[in-house]
Amino acid sequence: MNLLLKLAWRNIWRNKRRSIITLAAVSFAALLAIGMRGIQIGTYSLNYKTAIELFTSYVQIQKTGYRDNPSLNNSFVFDNDIKNILEEESYKFTPRIYADGLISYKDASLGAALFGIVPSTEKNVTTVTNKLSAGTFFDSDNSNQIVVGAKLLENLNAKIGDEVVILSQGFDGSLGNQKFTISGTVKMGMSEFDGMAVFIGLSSLQHLLGMDDRINAIAFDADGLESAEILKRDLMQKISDPELSMLLWEELLPELKQLIEFDNVSGIFFLGILIVIVAFGILNTVLMSVTERFKEFGVVLSIGMPQHNLVKLVYIETIMITIIGLILGNILGYAVNYYIVQNPIILGGDLSRIYEEYNFVPRLESSLNAHIFFNVSLSIVIISIIACFYPAYKVYKLEPLKGIRHT
Amino acid sequence: MEILRAENLVKIYQDNGVPVHAVRGINLSIKKGDYIVIAGPSGSGKTTLLNLLGALDRPTNGKVYFQNEDITTKSKSELSKFRLNNLGFIFQAYNLIPVLTALENIEFSMMLKGIPEKEREEKALALMEELGIKELAHKRPNEMSGGQQQRVAVVRAIVNNPAIVLADEPTANLDSKTAQHLLELMQRMNKEKNITFVFSSHDKQVIEQAERLLILKDGMIVNEE
Amino acid sequence: MLFKLAWRNVWRNKRRSLIVIGSVIVGMIAVILSDGLSNGMLRQMLDNQISSNILHIQIHKKGFNDNKIIKNYIEDSDRVEAAVNNTRGIKAYTKRVITFGLLSSANSSAGVFIYGIQPETEKEVSVINSYIKEGNFLGTGKRDIAIGQKLAEKLDVGLGDKVVAMANTPSGSIGSDMFRVAGIFQTASSDYDKVIIYVPIETAQSMLELNDKSNEFAMMLNDYKNVASVKEELSAKLGSEYEVLSYQDLLPMLIFQMDLYRESMWILNLIIGLALIFGIINTMLMSVFERIQEIGVLMAAGMKSYQIYFMFIFEALIIGIIGTLLGIAAGLLVHLPLSFTGIDFSLFSEALESFGVGAVIYPVLSIENLISVLIIIPMIAVAGALYPAYKAVKLEPVYAINYV
Repeated sequence: MNLLLKLAWRNIWRNKRRSIITLAAVSFAALLAIGMRGIQIGTYSLNYKTAIELFTSYVQIQKTGYRDNPSLNNSFVFDNDIKNILEEESYKFTPRIYADGLISYKDASLGAALFGIVPSTEKNVTTVTNKLSAGTFFDSDNSNQIVVGAKLLENLNAKIGDEVVILSQGFDGSLGNQKFTISGTVKMGMSEFDGMAVFIGLSSLQHLLGMDDRINAIAFDADGLESAEILKRDLMQKISDPELSMLLWEELLPELKQLIEFDNVSGIFFLGILIVIVAFGILNTVLMSVTERFKEFGVVLSIGMPQHNLVKLVYIETIMITIIGLILGNILGYAVNYYIVQNPIILGGDLSRIYEEYNFVPRLESSLNAHIFFNVSLSIVIISIIACFYPAYKVYKLEPLKGIRHT
Repeated sequence: MEILRAENLVKIYQDNGVPVHAVRGINLSIKKGDYIVIAGPSGSGKTTLLNLLGALDRPTNGKVYFQNEDITTKSKSELSKFRLNNLGFIFQAYNLIPVLTALENIEFSMMLKGIPEKEREEKALALMEELGIKELAHKRPNEMSGGQQQRVAVVRAIVNNPAIVLADEPTANLDSKTAQHLLELMQRMNKEKNITFVFSSHDKQVIEQAERLLILKDGMIVNEE
Repeated sequence: MLFKLAWRNVWRNKRRSLIVIGSVIVGMIAVILSDGLSNGMLRQMLDNQISSNILHIQIHKKGFNDNKIIKNYIEDSDRVEAAVNNTRGIKAYTKRVITFGLLSSANSSAGVFIYGIQPETEKEVSVINSYIKEGNFLGTGKRDIAIGQKLAEKLDVGLGDKVVAMANTPSGSIGSDMFRVAGIFQTASSDYDKVIIYVPIETAQSMLELNDKSNEFAMMLNDYKNVASVKEELSAKLGSEYEVLSYQDLLPMLIFQMDLYRESMWILNLIIGLALIFGIINTMLMSVFERIQEIGVLMAAGMKSYQIYFMFIFEALIIGIIGTLLGIAAGLLVHLPLSFTGIDFSLFSEALESFGVGAVIYPVLSIENLISVLIIIPMIAVAGALYPAYKAVKLEPVYAINYV
């Protein structure tokens, strides 16, 4: 082994207690950072995935301009040309209409988000049809049955099987209303959906709104966040109609995306502070271990050891402690994250209601993504190198004689 | 052949704001194979002179020439290289690196010179054997007596074949028997290998063996024998 | 005496003590900033909700809050008005008609909460008129309507454009009326801007066949701290036919969230504290080991073990307290200017607006948190000194004196 490495290694164990406390600090910081990042990143992807697969879907084709001005005017004809292209590529897709309306039962009337869907293909794209909490889902897209959010049913004071009136403004601007029968309720765990959503067969809604063959969106399934991007690019190539836009999940869920970014940034800020505090501890330890060896350093400088080699020694020592601490912290962090991945933390009681209020899944998951471990470790190594600047500078400036005389 | 020459050396340093004239105008020439002892009472400037000769300190005035080259104008890193290649040091308190074994301590200065590991070990062991301390090779400083440590320090100082070995009060911490033993060792090295030694000491034993004795008082050479 | 010794010892190795104090200061700044932001965010959510719409207290017919249907109107307005007028501490009140309806433009339609309001008194209680971006808040025109920016975009309408509102009447028939957009507002909440519209109360009453009835009395108090007592007094006067709800009752999730935050913020402080403790243990250990000889002398001179023990504990405590105080001062130095200028999070504006926070967050400090760190951090410092101090006490005097 290189003599310098050997020297550094033995120096670390010269004051065992001090080194152990320092590496415990590094492990603690790494463990905490890995644990927190794991929960953040795991929970983010859970929420992305849930929101996407619940109903939003990975990719949508919309009429260009619909996102900024979501009115029925911004709809397009789902003609055979498009259908053929999509079927040829055997994509999983489903057409939809979104509209606002009023749902009335007896003397109560409430606002409703009307979703015109085709249950048989919707099933292939999202999980909404599985979220039935009572009753049944209609299976024909021209049925006069509807499925409503569980909370909405409650607010209407209605029961499954009751007849309700849905009122909405049609494509041509005129108002239309029609009677429907509630066949079931869905519970999606998001206040926005459970209190507002009304699912209607696509054809029935087209009829009510006088839309003929027009729709607002085609939703697509993908194998994950990454393949969604590929899918979007493919679609843009295949359907090069400037009237139509292909939107990725993050464009469809801008608020969720920003919310998560915001949380992410604040999480990183907190961890940054934590690591800086640990860096102060490292700075102090290194400074002390250097100062108490000034005499020794003076001797080796007299012998003719170049100053920069001594600086190197100080760095090697610090990095060795940091790395041992990191190895420990990474192992512990992996164990904790693995445990949480296997046993997600389910939030109960009022806490879960807060999460639902903000349309979040009340569950904390973790992640074993290698980036977490790498980024945390790298930041700690970098900060400990920075913490070494001052002690290293002291060593660099050390005069051999001053060192020898140092007591 | 002259290897080191001091011309009109002066060193003034500040001690709590009070200027102290530690060395005042010393001229000295050291030849290959010399065995010189600089003696004098404490405070006479022995150590300061030795430090100036060993390029550990810079003179306030005057020059030090090594093989006719002025070393007082060299930069810090040039000096460090100079010491590594030309000088060996022995300190009063042995000053071995505590976490390294005797062998590794000796290898250390060879490592700095960039000598390959295998060669280092062979050379160090050979020299240790020659001086009869091979059994100390794998001991750490705190497992050795003072005399043993100082002998390791001697080996460390001469292993790179320096032009001059500077020894600052090398026997001060040793009993007379051990000191005698150590001095014999250094004399042998001086005779057999023609290594130049410069001592600073007020130890009688050291002074007795001097080939050249410089007596220092108040920073000046008052007598030379 | 012990304290003096400890104090001098702290400054013997200035650099070392200052580095530890520095780490405490960084921790404190972080605590103060993050607490300020979280607190500020929650406060803004609450303040925005209260000042723009919820107000301090609302009175409805019993059951209206859970089921906002038009049929749940207040039948005896005069009685409620008399009760409100006879209660002290109420700054101003206003009447509102509230129902869910559909608002349509030529292009599109949206489900909305129709608020029939008294523009003059509404201005006295809520700040909604200050959010007007284009046009004016409701004036004297019977067909004036004020809608949110998001809704205007969705319906693709601007000032002066025609919209039609439609809603159920108590008898079950559909009432509708035409309005012209008089004002467009933008609050800190995108949800609010999407679903709330304001029309004059008389027009709403005639469209909904309510005569002069209303659904809600909403009021601001002179001092929000009196909410509980005023609420109690009103409920006693009005009896069980009515519900008197404070803002806490009306925003249960937000209040719960604030409580939860208040109860859990010490965890954050503790984590920062734990990060600090390693540095403190190491520093104190070194402080003990470099003074072994001195400790031996003190012991030999008759200093008792517990005195030596406390000397080190005090040393850590002094460092902890100085660090915390300086840290709070430094934190305030960062916090105070920000609490006036706010921190612009435009990058996350959509998310923050969906929460009703607004893109600029004004940090607010909680006294509880300052007290919590003032206790936790010095305690952590003491905890960090326990082991080193124990080490000092365990020394044998003879060994210690001869230690070099």
